[in-house]
Amino acid sequence: NIKVSGTVTDANGIPIPGVSVIIQNTSTGATSDLDGKYTINVSSNGSLEFHSLGYLTKTIPVNGRTSINVQLEEDTQQLDEIVVVGYGTQRKESVTGSVVSIKAEDLQEVQTANFQQALQGRAAGVNISTTSTRPGAAPQIRIRGVRSLSGNNDPLIVLNGIPFSGGLSDINSNDIASLDILKDASATAIYGSRGANGVIIITTKAGKKGQKAKFSYNTYYAAKEVFSKYPMMNGAQLTQLRADVAANNGGTPIYDLGGDEDLANDTDWQDLLFGTGIQTTHDISVQGGSENGTYNIGMGYFKETSVVPGDAFERYSIRAQVDQEVGTLFRFGLNSVMNFNKTSSIVGINGVLSASPLLSPYDANGDFLESVRLQTEADDSWIPTRNEISRVGNGKKNEQLDYGSYNNIYGEVKIPWVDGLKFRLNLGLNFRTSRDGSFTGKGVFNYNPNNNSSASYNSSITKDYVIENQLLFDRTFADKHQVNFVGLFSSQQTKYDNVGLGVQNIPNETSLWYNLDAALSEDITSYGTGFSASGLLSYMARVMYQYDNRYLFTATLRSDGSSRLAPGHKWVTYPAMSLGWNIKNEKFMEDVNVVNQLKLRVGYGETSNQAVSPYSTQGRLSTRNYNFGSNFSTGYFVSQLPNPNLGWEFSETFNYGLDFGLFDNRLSGTVEYYVTKTSDILYGLGLPATSGVSSVTSNIGKTQNKGFELSLNGTIIDNPDGITWDVGVNLYTNKNEIIALATGEERNVGQLWFVGSPVNVIYDYQNIGLWNDTDSDYQYLQDFEPGGNVGMVKVKYTGDYNADGSPTRQINADDRIVQDPTPDFQGGFNTRLAYKDFDVSMVGTFQSGGTIISTLHSSNGYVNLLTGRRNNVDVDYWTPNNTGAKYPAPGGIQSGDNPKYGSTLGFFDGSYLKVRTITAGYNFNQPFVKDFGFDKLRVYATVQNPFVLFSPFNKESGLDPETNSGVNSNGSRQNVSVNTSNISKGIPTVGANAPSTRNFMIGLNLTF
Amino acid sequence: CTEEILQEEPRGVFTPDFFQTELGVQGGLTYLYENLRYLYGQPYYYNSLETGTDEYTYAQSADNNFKNADLSGVGNIISDTYTTSVAWNTVFPAINTASGIIENAAAVGIDASVVAEAKFFRAFNYFLLVQQYGGVPLDLGSGELVFNSSAVRTSIRNTVPEVYTKGIFPDLVAAINELPDSPRLTGTATKNVARLHLAKAYLTYAWWLENPNGIPTYPETPRTDPDGKDALYYFQQAYTIAMDGINNPGPYSLQEYFYDVHVGSNDRHSEMMLYADRTEESPIYNGASLGWSGTGGSANTAVWMVTSNYTTIKVDDVAAVQREADQSLGRPWTRMAPSINVFEETFAEKDLDSRYDGTFVSSYRGNWDKGGNSTPSLTAANGMQITPGDAVISFLDDYDATVDYSVNGGNLGGGEVAGRSDYVINLNEINRRFYPGLWKLGTYRTDNEGGLGQPNGAITRPFPIAKFSEFYFIAAEAYVKGATGGQTAYQLINVIRGRAGKWRYDNGEKSERMEDNSAAMIAATPLVVDLDFILAERSREYFGEGYRWLDLVRTQKWAEYAASYKIASNDASDHSPTTTNRTIEKFHYLRPIPQSQIDDLDMSDDEKSAYQNPGY
Repeated sequence: NIKVSGTVTDANGIPIPGVSVIIQNTSTGATSDLDGKYTINVSSNGSLEFHSLGYLTKTIPVNGRTSINVQLEEDTQQLDEIVVVGYGTQRKESVTGSVVSIKAEDLQEVQTANFQQALQGRAAGVNISTTSTRPGAAPQIRIRGVRSLSGNNDPLIVLNGIPFSGGLSDINSNDIASLDILKDASATAIYGSRGANGVIIITTKAGKKGQKAKFSYNTYYAAKEVFSKYPMMNGAQLTQLRADVAANNGGTPIYDLGGDEDLANDTDWQDLLFGTGIQTTHDISVQGGSENGTYNIGMGYFKETSVVPGDAFERYSIRAQVDQEVGTLFRFGLNSVMNFNKTSSIVGINGVLSASPLLSPYDANGDFLESVRLQTEADDSWIPTRNEISRVGNGKKNEQLDYGSYNNIYGEVKIPWVDGLKFRLNLGLNFRTSRDGSFTGKGVFNYNPNNNSSASYNSSITKDYVIENQLLFDRTFADKHQVNFVGLFSSQQTKYDNVGLGVQNIPNETSLWYNLDAALSEDITSYGTGFSASGLLSYMARVMYQYDNRYLFTATLRSDGSSRLAPGHKWVTYPAMSLGWNIKNEKFMEDVNVVNQLKLRVGYGETSNQAVSPYSTQGRLSTRNYNFGSNFSTGYFVSQLPNPNLGWEFSETFNYGLDFGLFDNRLSGTVEYYVTKTSDILYGLGLPATSGVSSVTSNIGKTQNKGFELSLNGTIIDNPDGITWDVGVNLYTNKNEIIALATGEERNVGQLWFVGSPVNVIYDYQNIGLWNDTDSDYQYLQDFEPGGNVGMVKVKYTGDYNADGSPTRQINADDRIVQDPTPDFQGGFNTRLAYKDFDVSMVGTFQSGGTIISTLHSSNGYVNLLTGRRNNVDVDYWTPNNTGAKYPAPGGIQSGDNPKYGSTLGFFDGSYLKVRTITAGYNFNQPFVKDFGFDKLRVYATVQNPFVLFSPFNKESGLDPETNSGVNSNGSRQNVSVNTSNISKGIPTVGANAPSTRNFMIGLNLTF
Repeated sequence: CTEEILQEEPRGVFTPDFFQTELGVQGGLTYLYENLRYLYGQPYYYNSLETGTDEYTYAQSADNNFKNADLSGVGNIISDTYTTSVAWNTVFPAINTASGIIENAAAVGIDASVVAEAKFFRAFNYFLLVQQYGGVPLDLGSGELVFNSSAVRTSIRNTVPEVYTKGIFPDLVAAINELPDSPRLTGTATKNVARLHLAKAYLTYAWWLENPNGIPTYPETPRTDPDGKDALYYFQQAYTIAMDGINNPGPYSLQEYFYDVHVGSNDRHSEMMLYADRTEESPIYNGASLGWSGTGGSANTAVWMVTSNYTTIKVDDVAAVQREADQSLGRPWTRMAPSINVFEETFAEKDLDSRYDGTFVSSYRGNWDKGGNSTPSLTAANGMQITPGDAVISFLDDYDATVDYSVNGGNLGGGEVAGRSDYVINLNEINRRFYPGLWKLGTYRTDNEGGLGQPNGAITRPFPIAKFSEFYFIAAEAYVKGATGGQTAYQLINVIRGRAGKWRYDNGEKSERMEDNSAAMIAATPLVVDLDFILAERSREYFGEGYRWLDLVRTQKWAEYAASYKIASNDASDHSPTTTNRTIEKFHYLRPIPQSQIDDLDMSDDEKSAYQNPGY
């Protein structure tokens, strides 16, 4: 035996501490110290193996040398291969459930306020849709479709091991080290009922053991420009529209030039409101580690404004991670994320869209009007402009402050007498408080200069805790039998309370919302407090077993008890199981060199969902306020019956997957197919009016989701010294269907649920064009449509016909048809081209088929009235000389203030392909970079949302086909009697929200 | 962290248990009153009771809610017509709550006189249903007239006589016995309020038994009374109870002047027996914003529908009549217009009878000063000057053939006549765009502070439901139908007509007018008062308050009275009226059962279609 010593370094010559140096074919070894130095006694003809996480293992024969310095190569592959599966990690090769793993670098290709937007188009089966374009608004996530009818369909977010209850914009996406998405029930079963809609596990960045302190600074700045203005008419077009209205209306315009309108004006109100928005961030962090511990602390600042003045979101965040081993048995740690957000929004954009271009914001001298209060013939309006907003200043203010603190504290002890057994106590403590102040001065943003001032103050506190007792066992027996066991008992409770007060007639307007008590008590417009609490107790056990890296098996059993359900129905237990077969590791595949990886997976699991709000089982007594003269009183009535049998909603999922890697893993991918059946669905069953009670929460109904998912990653060119080109594509489908509702209930028109159709549908007349006098059935127009006119919207008639070909009835509600807005398939792609220190990358999304709903074009938005009352979306409408138009004759038959069947005008083919970002970056590798002590210096420039292809909606309107609103936000339902309940609530829409933007960004990443 | 966290303790919300406490029961009563707001002042329900009668038709900005109701070929009433569903979808929770109060009250020690309010409301709501939909279910799921606590999804309609004899008469008889003479709180039910409704229910049931025009009922049932009484018996009962009400008025009395019945400053006066209250004092208890409201829910916005858009009046390039929170102005929606027949026939007499003047807005007056325009005077008709407060456009009481409309006065179709500074329009030349507003229900606010105030908030006045004057009409109608007693129809009607002849204020001229034309009014009453005269008189007294459809359906005169009407087109400058015909069929005398009710039933298709009224 001789004594060998040396230094282990990485490719850059930096020492690597903590490397295991093992004598081949023995269990004897040593570890490198902080300077990468090691010493070991070994026989002079032996061999040494150098192992370190993140590096390729290297075996070196001693050959009698006493000094061996080793350079290890980073194993990028292996880093990617670690997947967080909840209560532990697994090598990707061993995973049997449906899990998608996304690393920080991928997320950071799309720089956004929240991780959801960065995730868009990244993972098959994960659909992210924007429901508001206001800064700070979080998009909606749906993993493998919706299953619950009125319950929550949001996935569970787990932050550093603890269920996350905060706002979805509370997490700084630059803090994220990895995102792992558990999609099928066999994977989510460990999270039980809370994971019924899928689980997104977020792991924040941590230091590495033995790592020298490293400082990072990341920043970018983006300017946001309107992607495309809303296509509104100009002065001449509106004037022509009114003339065309008159032509269809016996020569009389319905709305004539009036009020402050003047034909000499042609104002583009959008130009007067929209400006340039910004988005910027600064993140700093320090991370490092000792032999027995790691740490990472960081701070971040993010700010975003929209193109609408007064819209802003700012976030200050702090992150701290500490993990320390004490002795050989104990380990303690803390993971903490804290954030402080400030959000404001003061003006909607409906005002500028509906404002007549024939109005002018200037007085006779060409100066801006003191306040843009203008009349048309029918409407008195105040129109928002940048100038007006800046003039008003503090006269209109909104400020929402959110503070959140999300903490996971843990302690772990190895049980000394059982190898591989650990006990871990996790304590999750979350706290979030929110305050929303709002103030509008007298007459501000209102046509009526005497409109009362108003102010409100609302505040809430959310507290929750989780205590988890975990027993963890991980050991390999006889080299071939790997066993991993997790046992868990957890208890969690969430409490929420809130307080709010709104008043009008504030005596001193400079006090904003800080002196509400100065208003008279009769000027209180709203007040209240609220409270809710819910608890969940759980027991869980999971076994993962694999034999010889070939046969993989995972089984989970979990019991959940929920406070939200009725006594006697609170507890449920459900199993999940999955199997995997690593075919590639079989002997018979050894010689198939083209295949590097081939794995077949099958999973089955049950999950359940407590998707009702607390107290649903107890029924509801609603309150109503009344005055007997000046005597005020509160009334009560039973609005919801109690349900003493309310229990869990169940889902069963089968998942089939195939993972493969070919040609030296240059082409790898996953194919999956799943079927999820949900039964005993929780929903508020509507009772007939004659029951005297509107609803009862029940376990009724069934839904089903089926889907196919494909992800492919390819390295097309791989030349470390020249060009590297990687491409990733994912594609998925989801077919959602309601299998059953309550007995005898084939459809629920109020909720828009129809057996045999998806949960989210359009229920409306089917627009088949316009009535023209050349139509063969035109002679029966008055039978189909009493009071109808040529050029009106023609909808499909589903009734019977008389012998002469006339309809037996007029077109009525029976002719409404369920229409499925689901795309045929959706997906995303990304590609990266690198040449030496330059790289260019691109990320995009696409969908084929389906329906985009534009409330601008439909009757919801009040800007396609086609009567000339307000400004109108610039649409191709019918005139006697333009009978082939898409939109009806203006001034024809109305329903409410809109053209009859106006709701059908908002449906567009949903296909599109959208490039979300293109980034060009340069990594400085010149000597001066090292001379300054920098590890890494990168600059990049990005354009976000550069263009849209293949979109019929974009082609017609120029607008971004991506949604910007929920159906009820900014839907502007002015007139409640107009039936706008033709679109399921779960469908996001394109509406009058802050316009989509195209962003130009430059950024810098620096590490030393 | 044990099982304790699985127990729920509701704190932020009420659960139905609370309804079994004393405060819960009392709150149930409050709810019964509050629920009235969802009908009285609700504009679409209001429309269903006015548009399509001889009082109103649709106006220029009407949507299908108004056109459908007109039955004049521009729409139709079908099972999912919104406006005819409002009553059905509003009253059952109130009926159920009333049953709950009646059941729970004894256990928590509530006085019988208070419980009687719940009995009154259960009957009130059933009466409302039976007049509009025919027979309706008495069993909501847990038994006949029992509080429903079961999630039942079936329903069986009782017949009309069952609803009257089980669901209406016994509760009202008990309410008359148990209610106090004077209200417990401002506007709560009393003995006499119950008498008025029982008298009206007897009257309506008597008409149903008689069925003079062969209108079908549903569910089908013979026109016989379970107690074996005939129509005349119930006409006599109606007369007797109404006379009881007149002779035992309690705190109620007729106002001295018709003007005072509706002037906003006099709301909640002695003649108003029942109303859906609102308040300017608190937006929370008003149930609607005081600044800007929509037209849904409990907001009182009915009068907006019948207010034409006067704000487009322009004189001398100035918006002379601006939107103001004033009883003559308020928020204009231009959805419903009175027909010309209203002014030519019903209100033919405009000088002796104060009711035309006390019902309509006959002159639109300048208020540009309140809107911040300091121009002292504007050049109006005939080049003459007008100052704020002067009439800008007036509707003429008496036809003037010399009106020259070519000037398009006020930019809203006004004409000129020699010597007048205001533009004028003959009442028999109005159009769907500009017509007299309904002053009686107009906005009334006390917080205008000399400006335009808050015209866009819902009306903060109580919406009238029942007035003391109706006792006279009910008794008179019963008398015409054969009832006998101390006072004849002629005498009864003349009490009302005599009062109508008394003036203290001229609303059109905005000036004091002390005048007593009672004798002349009585002299003009025909000696033999017949049904037609009573119905015309009812329209003069209750015009535009939501009585008309019910009156015409009760007396089976709807198709006859509303068969056609005259009005000019949507264009403000059109003063050439045309006649429009309506198609009112016998099945229209019952409203369709709302489609939502039928959709929510767990019954066979045959049962569902049998649930619907014929014709829909």
